[in-house]
Amino acid sequence: MKQQLSRRSLLARTGYGLGVAAMQSLFGGTHFAPKAKRVIYLFQAGGPSHLDLLDYKPEMKDRFNQDIPPSVFGGQRITGMVASQDRLPVAPSMYGFKQHGQSGQWFSSLLPHTAKVADELCVLRACHTEAINHDPAITLLQTGSQLPGRPSMGAWVDYGLGSENANLPAFVVLNSLPSNGQPDQGLLARLWGAGFLPSRYQGVQFRNGKDPVLHLSNPPGLDSNVRRQQLDGITALNQHLREKVSDPEIDTRIAQYEMAFRMQTSVPELVDMSKEPESVLSLYGDDAKKPGSFAANCVLARRLAERNVRFIQLYHRGWDHHGGLTDKLPSLAKDVDQPSAGLIQDLKQRGMLDDTLVIWGGEFGRTPYAQGPLKPDNYGRDHHGRVFSMWMAGGGIKKGLSYGASDDYGFNVIEGGVHVHDLQATILHLLGIDHTKLTYKFQGRQFRLTDVHGNVVREILS
Amino acid sequence: MRVLALLFSCFCLASAADLDYGRDIRPILSENCFHCHGQDSKKRMAGLRLDESPSGAAVHADKILDRITTANKARQMPPAYSNRTLTSDQKALLKRWLDEGGKYSKHWAFVPPVAPPVPSGAANPIDAFVLRKLQAEGLKPSPAAKPAAWLRRASLDLTGIPPTLAEIDAFEKDAAKNGDGAYARTVDRLLASPHYGERMAIDWLDVARYADTHGFNNDSEREMWRWRDWVIQAFNSNQRYDRFLTEQLAGDLLPNPTLEQRIATGYGRNHVINSEGGIIEEEYRVEYVSDRVRTLGMSWLGLTLECARCHDHKYDPITQKDHYRFFAFFNNVPEFGEDGRVANAVPMIPAPTPDQQRRIARLQADIAKLEQVSARLSAGWKFKPMTPPAPPADVTTALNLDCNDGPAPGIQGNACIAKDAKTPAVPIARRNPLAFRVWLQSTAADTDAPILSTIDYSKNEAAVGYASGTELRLVNGEVELRLSQRFPAYALRVQSEGARIGAGEWRHVTVVYPGVAAEPDAMRMKAAWVRMYIDGREVPTRILNDGASLPSPGEKPSNQIFKLGWDNAGKSGTRFQGKLDNIQILTRDLKPEDAARWFESDALPYALSRTQRSPVETAWIRTYALKDKNKPLDDLKAELYAVRRASPMTMVMQELEGTPRPTHLLLRGQYNLPGEKLEPGVPESLLGAWPAGAPKNRLGLAQWLTKPDHPLTSRVVVNRFWQQLFGQGLVKTSDNFGFQGEFPSHPELLDWLARDFVDNGWNVKALMRKIVLSATYRQDAAGSPELTARDPENRLLARGPRFRLPAELIRDQALAISGLLTEKLGGPSVYPLQAEDLYKGIVVAADYPGTKYITSKGPDLYRRSMYTFWKRTVTHPAMTVFDAPDREFCIVKRSTTNTPLQALTLLNDPIYVEAARKLAERALREDAKAPIAYAFRLATGRQPDERESQILRTSYEKLLQTYENDRRSAEALLTVGPAPRDPKIPTAQLAAYTGVANMILNLDEVITK
Repeated sequence: MKQQLSRRSLLARTGYGLGVAAMQSLFGGTHFAPKAKRVIYLFQAGGPSHLDLLDYKPEMKDRFNQDIPPSVFGGQRITGMVASQDRLPVAPSMYGFKQHGQSGQWFSSLLPHTAKVADELCVLRACHTEAINHDPAITLLQTGSQLPGRPSMGAWVDYGLGSENANLPAFVVLNSLPSNGQPDQGLLARLWGAGFLPSRYQGVQFRNGKDPVLHLSNPPGLDSNVRRQQLDGITALNQHLREKVSDPEIDTRIAQYEMAFRMQTSVPELVDMSKEPESVLSLYGDDAKKPGSFAANCVLARRLAERNVRFIQLYHRGWDHHGGLTDKLPSLAKDVDQPSAGLIQDLKQRGMLDDTLVIWGGEFGRTPYAQGPLKPDNYGRDHHGRVFSMWMAGGGIKKGLSYGASDDYGFNVIEGGVHVHDLQATILHLLGIDHTKLTYKFQGRQFRLTDVHGNVVREILS
Repeated sequence: MRVLALLFSCFCLASAADLDYGRDIRPILSENCFHCHGQDSKKRMAGLRLDESPSGAAVHADKILDRITTANKARQMPPAYSNRTLTSDQKALLKRWLDEGGKYSKHWAFVPPVAPPVPSGAANPIDAFVLRKLQAEGLKPSPAAKPAAWLRRASLDLTGIPPTLAEIDAFEKDAAKNGDGAYARTVDRLLASPHYGERMAIDWLDVARYADTHGFNNDSEREMWRWRDWVIQAFNSNQRYDRFLTEQLAGDLLPNPTLEQRIATGYGRNHVINSEGGIIEEEYRVEYVSDRVRTLGMSWLGLTLECARCHDHKYDPITQKDHYRFFAFFNNVPEFGEDGRVANAVPMIPAPTPDQQRRIARLQADIAKLEQVSARLSAGWKFKPMTPPAPPADVTTALNLDCNDGPAPGIQGNACIAKDAKTPAVPIARRNPLAFRVWLQSTAADTDAPILSTIDYSKNEAAVGYASGTELRLVNGEVELRLSQRFPAYALRVQSEGARIGAGEWRHVTVVYPGVAAEPDAMRMKAAWVRMYIDGREVPTRILNDGASLPSPGEKPSNQIFKLGWDNAGKSGTRFQGKLDNIQILTRDLKPEDAARWFESDALPYALSRTQRSPVETAWIRTYALKDKNKPLDDLKAELYAVRRASPMTMVMQELEGTPRPTHLLLRGQYNLPGEKLEPGVPESLLGAWPAGAPKNRLGLAQWLTKPDHPLTSRVVVNRFWQQLFGQGLVKTSDNFGFQGEFPSHPELLDWLARDFVDNGWNVKALMRKIVLSATYRQDAAGSPELTARDPENRLLARGPRFRLPAELIRDQALAISGLLTEKLGGPSVYPLQAEDLYKGIVVAADYPGTKYITSKGPDLYRRSMYTFWKRTVTHPAMTVFDAPDREFCIVKRSTTNTPLQALTLLNDPIYVEAARKLAERALREDAKAPIAYAFRLATGRQPDERESQILRTSYEKLLQTYENDRRSAEALLTVGPAPRDPKIPTAQLAAYTGVANMILNLDEVITK
């Protein structure tokens, strides 16, 4: 049997825990001992304002409505959003910042729950990206290139490490909409796509409602007994064919049908939160009981992590606050603050935070200058990629650290800059992968997540 | 691992007898050395160049051998940091090569193909080449597939639809009796089927990245299906492939291009287009041009030209300069970086369907006849006194300026002279109707000046809301309406055609935008709704931009103040020179007869009162007098304009008027870092000389690509067709014929096919016929365990092709055998069943066209899958789950994966559950005695054997028992899908057969060809 495995079927088996994956087959395991076994990426799509959430800029307070000095402005590319404005005046954050925890990290008043877990977090205050628009920026963060066509981070990880759960996909995607009903920018299936990797590595989107995975449920009137009978028949017929035509691909097909059948049990069990105790749900806040909310998805993320799903990608939309930021930001922050902090606490109390990497952040930050009318308590901000903040926690990450710094305006990196490719290199590193060595040959060239860039940010590793 | 080594041994390692530089050596050098010792002079290390003769390897043989064999890590080549290593086999090969003198040869794919002598042993040269290789490998071909198996394979390959049982029966008889003649007849039948073009188009749509949306995060709808239908038609009419290439690349540059030739150029516009507010125009315009270069390289050259965008190509002898010289061919399109938010991006043209073209031609012919009648009437007309009509009674206006206090005489009383005058505010809403009527007398004919305007052109053009507002304009004698949100891309911009308003003439202009009343479920404003009347008679219009979006219902009108005869263009603005009179603005629709009446009630008193009438004024009176007699002509014209307005639009390639846009090499590929200025051109020393006398534009480029001795085009094309039939090309890397591509499995066969293809006039049908009729293609697909181990990918072709069907064909086959398929060719894309909330949570939060999936009704639910609405960011799951690409960029080869989601789709997707029920009904109806065998044969082309019959029978009996005990479940299963159920079949029985048909549709054999 074994010697009949063609390369095609060998590779085909690497999806969904059916066999070895690229790393194991090519390198005999990870490149070095991993610190994290899995990733939960809490993606805040639209570009959350670092200046109003994570990057405290007291210096801006006194400069309300002043112009940003040209020395700071540098070669900033201006989007069409503010191209018609005569001035780009400084808009200090109207939210109070305080230091929290033993580590004394700064958080705005919009993140009271996140602040409580300050000592678990590493806040990256000097992330940066060249992209200034949503599509290219989010595509860069998730695939390493601004242009479509590259595999997403989760797909790379799945390709590299394979799955540790034979009943669930290795890469799962959960989307949520903001409670204020204004999701703004669209998402793109390419963000969890496989790019040029075989398409089995694409993320499987879990949905709300009856079918958490598309077409998971049997049709009405066809219960699992009937389905089992059908599958037994299909398998018998496929095996019969296998004997006649000697195509090992058929073995893979048979296995995939069995996996599908197992998913029909494992996925509903996974998404059934009825047995989650109140004490656990309360960590995530009231929304945890609302299916499809960010909070409920955070609970789901923990359940997926418990089942060793490798890459769990959440998206929460609605952070694109060009105008009326002060009306919208509080509700967005409320959507995600307690659930994110609750996830950290829940993972910790289960002893899972040590080998689960949690990442929180968007595709860029927002400008220190106002877009549109400026009042002390009412302003908008345009996209800003030259510096922005994110946080990471868990597997292999230093606790209670603020790493890097932006200038007085939160405009440029002063020190500890983390480019998107550095972030990606670091994430792979924590999973035991050398980002320069996880490659896939496409059109004659070896490609990797970090293109030809990226440095592991060693300063934040525990 | 052992298997892998075996596989490579077949193709990569030289036999003891000969060493071929191109096959054996260059791949090793390219993969491991060229990166630092190749043509990229900026990255070249130690001044050593190994990619070209005579410098390099031979001269430094000893040194090279030393460095690749040394155990000293610091000196070892390739260095450790490169993540590249040479195997001992590779080192041995390099040593042998250097020992033998280190001879170079030009890369095989850059040398024009020469037909090699055909080996003896088979009638079909294809078989002769394949057989020779098999013999060299000590293998034998497989026996022929059973006739029915071949028929299913050929039908799916050439039409995408499995054979009917009648076709199978007839063919089996014919083949038994007539042998090869039966095969040839069948292939001719399949090639003549209109479905042939559909099947052939599918692969090309991937290459040409066709989709129904623009991509990027707004991802709204575009209208390009006329291009898709052009492709189908091109294959069906067996258009010569060199023409197929030329028309797509440069149809617009052919002498007197036809509409279809212009539509073909949509190939160059199928790329994604970004409409995200605030993006930098030039950044994205450069992306589009780059995409055209990339797609050109992949489609026809089999080269990764895009790798030379930021620096010289790391492997192939393509410099960055070469890249930007290709770029220059495509850099002269009048387009924007940001466009396509709600509809097509410019440049675009109306592309009436063949049916509409026939109607237009007929109407034009009828109009021409009536014009003659009308001319005779005019010639015979004599002035008689008449009473002018009264103005339309029930027309309420939002604004009425009779200008009678003006300084100069007008059409009635005095006129307005446009000098800093403004109107009172008019409440304007995008969903609501808006109409203008105005008399104007322009002192100049060739002016470009506002008549009524609320637009401010003085601000920064890069701003998101630049030049928003409403405007009526006179442009070289034509009337132009601008309803703008961001000028010009996000504006509705329509111009009259043939108004020809001359200098000094009083002319009456009526323009009507009827608002969403014209199309209540519209998701954008449409330029096609606009109607224009000059002197009371409707005139045709043309659309310049059509990118205006609609707000949600409940929009509050904004009060807009119009400037009379000027706008806020600042110093660059032109003022209207002349007079305006009787200006009315309506916020309601205006009927054609009212437009006429309004004109007549002003014009006739004026004209009649004149002692000296101008020809125009005389014409007014005459037209009015003959109005009833000319009504049939006017009606026909109105119908013609309506047909024209209803035509689909399609995006095309076009050249900028005037000075061409200069092309610069872009440093690091960055739009804002221009380097050396470059002219269009091709790497002639590498790939052949520019054809003598060919123009230095896209047309010349097409001529260069289709030169009979072009080394790449024909090879790349025949290889792709081979891939379509055998699952992979003779060159496995069908997207890369460069140094990093794989050496062909059968180089002589590839060259013979390429040569034969070109010498036979780029005849695609003849090529397909030749391959499909070969013994190679006819072989049984079954392998043995030994053969599978020896050649798992069937590169040696010792058996027939066996691989999973493409996504489209899996669904099409289910529809065809269940009797659901709607066999309609072409037309707008359709919306088959899809999970209702699929877009929720993903698509942009704006009601742009294409952000809502409105499921089709009736026959459109069952069209072939290639017509499924192809939304790039959320492609139909029944397609993507089976590896169909999202079409964001050119794809030459799909992956073929095998996942649990595929199982869930085939088992549970209502599309397939419904097809199972209809298959069961059909089988019961058409063969009540043996419905299972009947359904099985429909799906596989053969009778089930005993074991298979028994398995299916047992399943049926179990299911029947279940459903007889549970009628409610049986009923429930039969409700899936909108197709009506056959009420004559008992419920439990139909449910059980549906369950069995559901199994059949899931069999590996069924989704595999």
